[in-house]
Amino acid sequence: MFSVKDLYYRYPKQDKDVINGISFDIKEGEIFGFLGPSGAGKSTTQKIMIKILEDFRGTISYNGKSITEFNDDFYEDIGVSFEMPIHFSKMTALENVQFFMKLYKRNADIETLMKRVGLWEDKDKMVGEFSKGMKIRLNIVRALLNEPTMLFLDEPTNGLDPTNAKILKDMIHEFKQQGGTVFITSHIMADIDQLCDRVAFIVHGEIKEIDSPRNLKIKYGKRSMTLEYKENNHTVTKEYPLDGIGQNKEFLELLQTKDIETLHTGETTLEDIFIKVTGVKLHDEK
Amino acid sequence: MKSRLVVLILGELNRLNKYNVFSISILVAFIWGTILFFLDEALLGSLLPFVLLIDATLMGVIYIGAVTHFEKTESTISTLLVTPIKNSELVLSKVIANILHNLFSATLIILVFIFLKDVDINLLLIYLALISSTAFFTIGGLCLSYYQKDFTTMLVNIMVISFVLLIPSALYLFGVLTSPAWDYILLINPIQAAQEIIMGAFSGYEYTYKYFVSLAYMIVGSILLYQFFALPKFQDYAVKQSGV
Repeated sequence: MFSVKDLYYRYPKQDKDVINGISFDIKEGEIFGFLGPSGAGKSTTQKIMIKILEDFRGTISYNGKSITEFNDDFYEDIGVSFEMPIHFSKMTALENVQFFMKLYKRNADIETLMKRVGLWEDKDKMVGEFSKGMKIRLNIVRALLNEPTMLFLDEPTNGLDPTNAKILKDMIHEFKQQGGTVFITSHIMADIDQLCDRVAFIVHGEIKEIDSPRNLKIKYGKRSMTLEYKENNHTVTKEYPLDGIGQNKEFLELLQTKDIETLHTGETTLEDIFIKVTGVKLHDEK
Repeated sequence: MKSRLVVLILGELNRLNKYNVFSISILVAFIWGTILFFLDEALLGSLLPFVLLIDATLMGVIYIGAVTHFEKTESTISTLLVTPIKNSELVLSKVIANILHNLFSATLIILVFIFLKDVDINLLLIYLALISSTAFFTIGGLCLSYYQKDFTTMLVNIMVISFVLLIPSALYLFGVLTSPAWDYILLINPIQAAQEIIMGAFSGYEYTYKYFVSLAYMIVGSILLYQFFALPKFQDYAVKQSGV
């Protein structure tokens, strides 16, 4: 659906590129994520793909046609949610939504959408009175109000409490189940892990790895079984490879003879893999 | 579906109302009206065009500055950039909404003086003058706002520019600048041009080449400013608002 080849970008008045020759494809109906720390180039890539930033080098095509050949009707097809809540604060939520609806040919059922994110009751409140979480939920309503086929979400759950983050993730899954395609940028590992079919690790404007979270865990992860047991009033921890665990005599003997306190499999998290692959921590880099 | 331009213009006017810019302009019109109402006819004849001049020029720039200030603080342009709207529709909607808004406050003043003071104004010419002047100064104000960090800086710059533009006109008016060359030099001053065409709508005005040059200046200047500055620079300005 989207194909990005050898993309480079440099901001005006800067002396080096912030995007350094990245290539990736987004297949129709998939949720594709960009995972990386602040300043890695996630939002810049998104802004290029949604035609806010021009003068990039490389090629980007949408449904087989270069995005530079699309006119403004391109936006009839896509929905965008920026990281920061962006609304007219002295207008009500409904006034905001109704204003933007009139700019599109296709319109979603606003009542259903606003009820889904729990904002229908507050539709007549000024957006200026909304909490940050409510504003972010209204961002999603705005992104979906033209019934897009592709969604671009920049740090979609940033600032949301767990309940609202779950509502949002469920909505993203529903959007996918209805045939939609999603591009997500995030520095929150759990979002990417739970939502994405495939993920790209991006650092310093370069993609270091692309695959499904599952494949990445298999490829880079350490599969192990860890158990803790009591011995001479001390807790002893032992770790065994998960592969062939049923035939591991030492492990089986411990199970039979010791007072086991805890027993769990140890899968490497996506964040651990990110650090292993890129050498950069998700939350530290500036 | 309504034309997107109409939707945007109505949206701009709605926001001018919601953000109390309309209320302020009505208040300003009321204050001017009250001051003018108590003036004798001789003074009224010179001050009414001056008030309309201020409304079309200085206030035009200030109102568009206020509109862009609100957009900057709320980053709302980012969202508009990812809708099917064309940049030309966005810029034109701001200009047209500002013209309509300024005409509204000017009309309040004009109506009061037509009915209560029996002032003789050619309505066709005054609206032609107000529309062309407000368009020029709104587009100029929009261009100026592209480079302003905040509204306060913009207000200060507007004051400085207005002062610089008004000084030669005032000196000429009060006979300090006497050379006939100033007749021509002052034609490049947009405030002078706006003043000339506003004066042209009042009885007793003598039409010379200055009127037509000034009218052409405002109309052609508006088109050139829009086509070669306000529109091409808008994308860069809007992208900056999106936090890049």
